[in-house]
Formats: sequence, structure tokens, C-alpha cells
Amino acid sequence: MNAEQSTRIAVAFAREAAKSPRSGLCAAVVDVLAVSGAGITVMGDGQAGPVCVSSRRMAELEDLQFTMGEGPCQDAFRSGRPVHAPSFDLSVIARWPSFVDQAQECGVGAVFAYPLAANGVKIGVLTLYQDDEGELSAAQHDDSMALVEVLTETVLSLQDAAPEGALAAGLEDAVTYRAEIHQASGMVSIQLGIPATEALLRIRAYAFANDQPVGNVAADIVARRLRLTDDRHEPGEGG
Amino acid sequence: MSDDTRQRALNRQALTATTFVEIVDTLVDDFDVIDVLTVLTSRSVELLEAAAAGILLADGDGHLRVIGASTEQVQLLELFQIQNDEGPCLDCFNTGNVVLNASLDASSPWPQFAAESARAGFPSVCAVPLRLKDAILGCLNLFMSEPVLLSDAEVALAQALADVASIAIVQDQATREAAIREGHLQHALTSRIAIEQAKGMIAERGRVDMDDAFSRLRAYARNNNRGLTEVAESLVAGTVDVDSITHVRRPPPPPTARQR
Repeated sequence: MNAEQSTRIAVAFAREAAKSPRSGLCAAVVDVLAVSGAGITVMGDGQAGPVCVSSRRMAELEDLQFTMGEGPCQDAFRSGRPVHAPSFDLSVIARWPSFVDQAQECGVGAVFAYPLAANGVKIGVLTLYQDDEGELSAAQHDDSMALVEVLTETVLSLQDAAPEGALAAGLEDAVTYRAEIHQASGMVSIQLGIPATEALLRIRAYAFANDQPVGNVAADIVARRLRLTDDRHEPGEGG
Repeated sequence: MSDDTRQRALNRQALTATTFVEIVDTLVDDFDVIDVLTVLTSRSVELLEAAAAGILLADGDGHLRVIGASTEQVQLLELFQIQNDEGPCLDCFNTGNVVLNASLDASSPWPQFAAESARAGFPSVCAVPLRLKDAILGCLNLFMSEPVLLSDAEVALAQALADVASIAIVQDQATREAAIREGHLQHALTSRIAIEQAKGMIAERGRVDMDDAFSRLRAYARNNNRGLTEVAESLVAGTVDVDSITHVRRPPPPPTARQR
């Protein structure tokens, strides 16, 4: 990628982002790249959260990837390379069965995920959604690669400005969006006497088995309408 | 061209190619910048038939430091220049220009350094800037045991080696900086998540709501003079007992209850 292109994308991005600072980065991404939707997720330690999504539809898809632990976002982050699914063919369905199901239901025909990475560190993923099937154009791909650098710097700069140890205000959504899920993990960890990270896996498994969004399951746990049972105990017994 | 000269030229070409391959090989993901610079100094000596080589780099405050030297003697000579604030390497760093074939006799612009260098057996020196675009990062210095003149081609080769070193140095700085910033982001993320998990744990144990759980967490941190995040992380990691936080003694609530 050349410097001229990076600069052009950075300027276009800054202009769009300034127009609507509230809806923020994703709206700017959608405009600059001319795609149907986008989500920016910050990831760390297997825990992740969207910093922003361009629409409600994309929020569901980003959430589903977190619920299931599968999807282009995870694959791009793990491999550190862009993941392209220009159509949901059999190999894609085999890789992300639940994600493809939901994506098709949401009217999404193609998905592309780019790791947010620069200088040897990975901090998250930019996911692009297209309503229609088909590869991104070469220009869209090149622009995405340039934009990923800009976004990585944007996220790191946001955090640079925060007091030490605190999460930057612009990134709070990555956690607060799933605050209930983390709270529910804490509750289940006491109920079953297991670490919170393991509790999260139990909540995910329950959501999957009962075909419910993980957010709904977490809300039920926090409201004490639902108590996960330990396989080793009678139902209702806590740890 | 005599056979001997031709053979030497061929040998040097081969060594030049090998050197660049060797340096590029060291520029992998986790490269050690000192490794790269050590290879650079020792190969510059061989390629340019210098007696010794040294590298000076500017630190964050713009002060030059000796980063690599092919011999202990050169290390001292480089330090001598920095301490006495005179010498070809300083001129090279300050102007960004090559200081070429400076013969170190009585007419030299650096009388103290010239005497010291001649005493060490180096009557001639050449300094090449380490640069990236307009920035001068430091310089590569070649010390000769005889008053030889480097040809234009040899100076160009020295500059090419210095340019490779500059890329390595800048890349290393960028990587370090990025790793530190990423560490801050990850820590802030996991701390924030730990606070939510800790609230859930206290809420469950104490049969209270999340706001109450948070105020217990905060009261425990205050009573024990510890940071909120640190207590939350300890609780999640299991090094603090949940009961000691759940049953914490709290000050009476303030007149206007603050919602979290």
C-alpha cells in the first residue's frame, strides 16, 4: 500500500467521521468503502465487544459471532489475515453454520473481515457486510487495507487519551454493550463454583442449546429468572 | 584488470549480496535490533576493508549514544567524540552529510579527536548518516588503519548498509511503541470486564442488585486502600474471597445516592 492512498483514505474517513461523531466510525467506513454495513470489534483475551456497528442488523450478526465463537471476525483475528466470503457456498456453511443461517436471514449475501493490526499487534476486526453476493473490487480491498491502519491508530489513540488503566470513553461500548453478559458470568461463576471465563462458556452453550441470543440468556440470569444447573448437581443447586 | 583484482571484485560482490540477504533475514517478525546492527558493523568492516566500525544513535532526547562497535577500542573512540563534543561522527549527525575520508592529521578540524584516533592506529575515518526521509537517527563510522580513500562506489555501499540499518531501527521503535499501546488497551478492556464480572459475583453471593454490588466493591477497595480494578481482578482471579467483599462494612450512604 502506498502512502498516497493511506492519506486519501485517512482524509475521507476523517471527513465522514466528523459529520456524525455520534454514530461514529462505522458510518464513516460504510460511506468511504461503499458497502452495505460494517462493524468494528475490539478483541482481547477471547473477550470481545463491538465498538460500533452501522445498523441494528449488523449488531445482530456481530453479537451472534460472539455468542457462537464462530464467524469471519474470529477467523480474521486468529489468523491475522483478511477473510473473504463473497458468497455462502458449502465450504463457508461448513465453517460457520450458525453465522451463515443468521446472515441469510438478515439479508446479507457476502462478508469480509479485516484484522485491525499494525506494527505486529492485533487489537480487533473490521467486518464488512454486503447485501449482494460477490467479491469486493480491487479498489475496495486496497482501501480496506488502508482503512484498517487508520482505524487501528484511531482506536489506539482513543485509548492513549484515557486515564491510565481506564477504558477510553469512545471504547466503553465494547464492554457496556455486553455488561449483562459479564455480570451473568460472574453470577454463574459463584453458582457453579467455576471461573468466570468458564461460566461464559456455559452461558454460551445454554444459549446455543436453547436457540436463544446470548444477551437474552444473560438478562434472564441477571434478573434471576434463570439459574444454570451444574451437571454434577440436582437442578437448582448452586455451587 | 588483473586476475587478482578481478577475483577481489567478485569476492566483494558476493559478500555484498550475502550481507544484504543476511540482514533481510534478521528482519523477521521478532527481530532484535542489536543483532541487526552487530551484523551491520562486522560486515561493513569486511566489505569496505575498514579496520573497525561503530554505530551512534540518538536517544529520545537527541543525545548520541554508542549502540554498536566492532572493537572495544572503537567504542572508546566513539565515546570520546560524544564526551568532547567534537569529531567526524558528530559533524555527520549534525549536518546529515557524509564526512568523507577525513584524514586525521594536524590540519584536522577536530584536533583532540584526531590525536586520539591516530594514537589508536586509525589515521582516517569515514562517517555515513543513518537517516529516514528527513530525520537523522545517528551514524555509521568506519575507521581505517591506513590513510586510504574510499571510492564513490564504496561510499554508496556504506550508505546502502546504513539505510537498511535505519529501516530496522525505525521498525523496531514502531513495534515497541505499538506493543506498549496495545498492552494498555488490553489491560483497560480486561479490567473493565473484570469489574462487571465482580459485580455479578457479589450480587449473587449477597443477593443484592448490581448497583449495590458495585458500591460494596468500591467500599472494600476504599477500606483496604486498594484500586477498584485491582480488587475486581483479584476477585475474578480468586485471590480475594467473595465473602469478604460481600459483607464489607460500608459508610452510610451519601444524601444523594449516585447511580452507576
